[in-house]
Amino acid sequence: MATLSRPVPATEEKMRPNIASADVQLPAVRDYEQVDREIVGTLHPTVAWFIGLGVAILFLIIGASAWMYQIYNGLGVAGYNPPVMWGVYIITFVFWVGIGHAGTLISAILYLFRAGFRTTIYRCAEAMTVFAVMTAGLFPILHLGRPWKFFWLIPYPNWRYIWPQFKSPLVWDVFAILTYLTVSSTFLYIGLIPDIAVLRDREKTNPVRKRILSVLSLGWRNSDREWRHFARAYLFLAAFSTPLVLSVHSVVSFDFAMALTPGWHTTIFPPYFVAGAIFSGIGMVFTIIIPIRKWFNLKHYVTLNHLDAAAKLALFTSLVVGCAYMTEWFVAWFSGNEAEKAFFANRIWGQWWWASAILYTCNMVLPLSLFSQRLRRNTTWLFILSIFINIGMWFERFVIVVPSLSHEFEPWQWTTYHPTWVDYAILCGSFGWFSMWFLLFIKQLPVIAISEVKEIVMPRLRTAHAHGTTVSGEHQDYEADTPGEHD
Amino acid sequence: MIDSADNNGGAKAPEATGVRRRDFLKVLGAGGAATAMLGCGQEKVEKLIPYLVSPDQTVPGVSTYYATTCRECATGCGIIAETRDGRTIKLEGNPDHPVNQGALCARGQASLQGLYNPDRFRGPMIRRGGKLEAIKWDEALRLFAEKINETRRNGSAGNAVFINQHEAGSFGLFLDSWLAALGMPAHISYDAEADHAAITANKQNGGAAWPVLNFKGTKLIVSFGADFLDGWGAGVPQQLAFADARADYKNAPRLIYVGPRRSLTGLNADQWIDCRPGGEIAIAKMLSGALSPAQASQQSGAPQKALESLAREFAAAKPAMVLSGAGSSDLSAIAATLNSAPAGNGGYLGFEGIATAAEMRALAHRMSANGVSLLMVRGANPVYTLPKSVGFEAALKKVPYKVSFSSVPDETTELADLILPDHHFLEQWGDAEPMRGVLSLQQPTMDPVFDTRATTDVLISVGRAEAATAASYQYPDFRTWLIGRFPGGATALAAALPKGFTSGSIGYAPQARALPAVQTTTMDQTHGSMYLYVYPHPLLGDGRGANKPWLQELPDPVTKICWQTVAEMNPATLTKMGMANGDYVTVKTSAGSLTLPVLSYPGVQRDTIAIATGRGHPHSGRYASAGFNPLDLLPVSEDRSGAFVYASTKADVTKAGGSTWIVTTEGSSRQHGRGIGQAIGIAELGGQGNEEGVGAEHQKSGEKGEEMAGDASHEFLPGMRAPVANDAQGDRGDQASNDKGMYDPKHWSGMAKRRWAMTVDLARCTGCSACVTACYAENNIPTVGADWQGGKFLPDRTGFGANITRSREMAWLRIERYYEGGEDGSADFDTRFVPMMCQHCGNAPCEPVCPVYATYHAPDGLNVQVYNRCVGTRYCSNNCPYKVRYFNWFGYGEPGRAQYAFPEPLNWQLNPDVTVRGKGVMEKCTFCVQRIREAENRAKLEQREMQPDEFTTACAASCPSRAITFGDAADENWSVTKVAKDRRAYHVFEELNTYTAVVYLKKVLHSAPGAA
Repeated sequence: MATLSRPVPATEEKMRPNIASADVQLPAVRDYEQVDREIVGTLHPTVAWFIGLGVAILFLIIGASAWMYQIYNGLGVAGYNPPVMWGVYIITFVFWVGIGHAGTLISAILYLFRAGFRTTIYRCAEAMTVFAVMTAGLFPILHLGRPWKFFWLIPYPNWRYIWPQFKSPLVWDVFAILTYLTVSSTFLYIGLIPDIAVLRDREKTNPVRKRILSVLSLGWRNSDREWRHFARAYLFLAAFSTPLVLSVHSVVSFDFAMALTPGWHTTIFPPYFVAGAIFSGIGMVFTIIIPIRKWFNLKHYVTLNHLDAAAKLALFTSLVVGCAYMTEWFVAWFSGNEAEKAFFANRIWGQWWWASAILYTCNMVLPLSLFSQRLRRNTTWLFILSIFINIGMWFERFVIVVPSLSHEFEPWQWTTYHPTWVDYAILCGSFGWFSMWFLLFIKQLPVIAISEVKEIVMPRLRTAHAHGTTVSGEHQDYEADTPGEHD
Repeated sequence: MIDSADNNGGAKAPEATGVRRRDFLKVLGAGGAATAMLGCGQEKVEKLIPYLVSPDQTVPGVSTYYATTCRECATGCGIIAETRDGRTIKLEGNPDHPVNQGALCARGQASLQGLYNPDRFRGPMIRRGGKLEAIKWDEALRLFAEKINETRRNGSAGNAVFINQHEAGSFGLFLDSWLAALGMPAHISYDAEADHAAITANKQNGGAAWPVLNFKGTKLIVSFGADFLDGWGAGVPQQLAFADARADYKNAPRLIYVGPRRSLTGLNADQWIDCRPGGEIAIAKMLSGALSPAQASQQSGAPQKALESLAREFAAAKPAMVLSGAGSSDLSAIAATLNSAPAGNGGYLGFEGIATAAEMRALAHRMSANGVSLLMVRGANPVYTLPKSVGFEAALKKVPYKVSFSSVPDETTELADLILPDHHFLEQWGDAEPMRGVLSLQQPTMDPVFDTRATTDVLISVGRAEAATAASYQYPDFRTWLIGRFPGGATALAAALPKGFTSGSIGYAPQARALPAVQTTTMDQTHGSMYLYVYPHPLLGDGRGANKPWLQELPDPVTKICWQTVAEMNPATLTKMGMANGDYVTVKTSAGSLTLPVLSYPGVQRDTIAIATGRGHPHSGRYASAGFNPLDLLPVSEDRSGAFVYASTKADVTKAGGSTWIVTTEGSSRQHGRGIGQAIGIAELGGQGNEEGVGAEHQKSGEKGEEMAGDASHEFLPGMRAPVANDAQGDRGDQASNDKGMYDPKHWSGMAKRRWAMTVDLARCTGCSACVTACYAENNIPTVGADWQGGKFLPDRTGFGANITRSREMAWLRIERYYEGGEDGSADFDTRFVPMMCQHCGNAPCEPVCPVYATYHAPDGLNVQVYNRCVGTRYCSNNCPYKVRYFNWFGYGEPGRAQYAFPEPLNWQLNPDVTVRGKGVMEKCTFCVQRIREAENRAKLEQREMQPDEFTTACAASCPSRAITFGDAADENWSVTKVAKDRRAYHVFEELNTYTAVVYLKKVLHSAPGAA
């Protein structure tokens, strides 16, 4: 850390807000002009980007075709083995919802906690959240026997006076997911407004694009009053989103925890799911941000310090998740419940030992490497680890969904599970769908929050000012019109 | 895409049913079946036209019931055919019939799928250039008459042969008189299922060909391979008698099964003594004192300790019934001397006059020596049912002209030159004399499905065409002939028909046949080390059931295999050979070799490999080609009674490499301590003196008496309703509220005053699975195991049973078969058969999790599934501890799809009272809600209260063991309420607080005396 920033003098420490500002400053970013130029500069489409988008759309088409095939022929083309009535689709649903948690955590909770390392990664994480929730939202529909009737889960006035069953966690899911999608996309958009204004102002060639951007920027004029409202709104939305981070995945966990099924019927699920979701989300953030900072030449924005801090969060959530795993073992043993015990034995040593092994290795064992600072600051390792975390978190949901259903109360109905090509195609399609949106996003809107980065960049100094000519870790006095400072 | 799918999925299903209903009317309006076949278009706009003159006895939407006689086996059970709008939709046992007393086995019920078999001949066919072509009846009859005439002219009429599928009745008499009039020899009545060793022994001992087995009053039954619960002889009445004898558990006989493989009878036995095939005789000799247990053990391969205890027990138990079904006359003779049980009254006459395998082989010799000028065959399929080594097929090809009267294609019709398809038995007149003095009547229950003609009528018309016999065939049809013979004529017959039987006799005793020289061989020891044991399939029989999807899909009660032929081997032997379930083995004998998957089954003796017959038909229709035919492995070997010996050879068994999916519905064969099928020792029950079902002790202890371990808490009984209802009534919710809704017992609908419930007595249940077929028939359950229904869509599973290997069978009611004990691989294991259906929980886990209220709790205690509302989240199934919910993975009910389960005209059987479920919805046992509502409506229309036991569910009605009782548990007068108070009662997974409406009564274990 010392290589990039100077230690904070002890005398000033008490005066500071509780942010690791020393660690998150961007010494290589000189001024606002550089921020605008470099970040807006990432928006130019490249050949590699077009290829990437093409691949994403191809995957999407494969998935969509598989879905059409499935709608036409029936769910039987997917690899369900009753009583394993839920499979890859629900696993992937929970997987994407989980991914969708890191974004709001980073953008909202860490904002409230004034964790400075979030500044450069939050936009990326937030966009990931919105697209992940959009992806996740497809799966409950996709897995229905009659997907064309999905709207029956929504309470709408109808002449039959039939409402959804509000006792059903699946109805709670509908509310949770829709709320989360609404709030997180609003939050993303609100945060984008000043940046869109930057794009608008820098758009010189394309009048249509300029027009769209000016509409989207809601006529942002960079006035103090606008900044004040903006900051208030942002703070409010951050506060509003924070409980959602906890509630949405808790609700998703109720899909399982409310059921009688051994392995599902457990009170530990909500915290366990939330921790797992944040863990998986941070994993996905690494998977996305590490290539982006490399290919978009943003290494001096997303610094190793930021990644290091995020890696610590990943390590922490990994420990929480690992603790939850071990609690599950303990509870299975301690409960004395024969069905639960038999299920657990089967999950860990029986027919699903390999899935459990993948899960524990990826989620519990490998992240322990993050205790090493060298590995936390090794982007290659972080990227590889993030892939393992993604795999591990997908298998965590696999281990929750499939082994439970395959080994329930009724031994006569014990079974196994083999996904078919349709499951795999739709799983690939979901990555295609997610990547397509994300790729489109990164070339239309800034992947790093311009306005927030400017907050931690040394302000353009007035020539009249006598001090502040050196780059330092010390707090800088911003120019008078710098937003948010004097509220 | 979603939109277009919406149009398909959303609109198709209701439209399809609508069209079908119109079709019903159209069929009747036109009075012919052909019209219905044209009227199945989906888009056609049609008009509903009311009848001007309604057809006789037909009220749209109201069933008509016809009593007739089952012809699926030689027994001759009485059946009641339910006919709706001109179509027979359900068969049930005739409750008054002396043979089956209302019960009906799976095979009998599945005869509906013979009637509506999609592969049935549509009309007469002729073989031209090797291919069958349709012709007109006139031409076909002319050809047949010409052939008869030609045979008579060239003086070879005496060499004509008529093979008839054996049936007990006056058809044989009629046929023989027809043949005699034309100068032809009497017909050969063939039934491959008949056990001639037993029949011959029975007759030699002066009894009936098949005696009534009188289990009641015996102390011990020793069965040497006599599978009286698997279709060995008179299946249904034997099962009834056995269940009744065992239900009186204080005086129940103990059953010991001796044989190389535990059949269904073996699994119902209290003890199994495993011996090598052919070793039974040594054990029988031991019982008669000719051998010591040590010698018997050495000769039979059975454990000496078990034999010693058997000898001790047998010596002490009087009277003891000894049955021999191992196909050996020597064994049967010893068994007859050992038998000390009093003979039952009378016997089953249907087993008289059946031709032996030796006779069929002699016929094959005659045919290959060109000694047969004309062969006529009706129903029988000797080409398939006789092992290849007999050479029947090659011999048949030498017969110059072969006429078949079979209504379905099979391996024998494949060689026929002319096919004059007979009516199905449900379409024609006839009679049977199943027991002495009982004349069981057979009448058509509907118009013929296809352009077929009763063989009897064909014979009459040919008889009339032939100048020499014209005078004796002056009557128009067989019905007239029957009436003419019926004492009292048409009026008396009309009076007797509704009952289905009357007292009387046909007066036809098939002539005793001279037995040709039999070809006996001793066990062929030259091949390998394993004994080959080929046994008749309990459901498909000799293969005649193979083209009925219900029977293919119905898991074998023992192995739980469907759609597949497997080689059963003992797990210990498999381990020794380094093989696992599903690996291919090659079984090679001197007669042939077969490569098939192996199944680990602890009920097979260690040196034995067992294979069921019945499957692997090359020419019997679309469903019958599943599996293999093990008869091809058998060399010719006959018992001195002329019976074919199925256990006559050893076989080389080698690992063939590769493996496949086992098509089974079994998950785990062990209960893992879950207490699903519970049992109680007779010692624990003994001395209580309470009659079965009455539960005297429980009544004594008062309404809240001490709960005995394992006892049902009876929470669902009157006054203690389901938590759902309690909540709605305010017992647990708002006491002050007046709005108690439908769950209020005082609600005007009166629904909440009932609590529909069921009891299943595991001491009676034999696991025969008749209830499962009854459920398929009643509730329009699709069969899903055909190759084209899954193989194409699940590329990793191909072939028959693809969907079943993914556990996608739709059986609302399944029979779970758990083993208890014998984990060490010993033969000493007990079997629990547990019929498992929706438990209609009072506190159902499936209900609150359904997001759209597709499943909810009805005030009368039913757990209701609304198909139209279901969106298919399948959460209900995940939350069901009993795993009794079934999902429509494909459009099994949509015509035009590969997965369509009811290809025309199988769809004619569909019960119009029950929805055919669409793709993507959940379904499950409804407690036959359509029967409940029908009974309620009937009572309402007749302005009366519903009578106790007024109706029952399809499963309970069919059960040949009387194990299932259904009714209103809130009313003391229904039997179910009394049975549920038995001290053996328990709920499955009571600890889950589900308040189930199904009460199981524990199985009763009869341990060996002194061993308790």
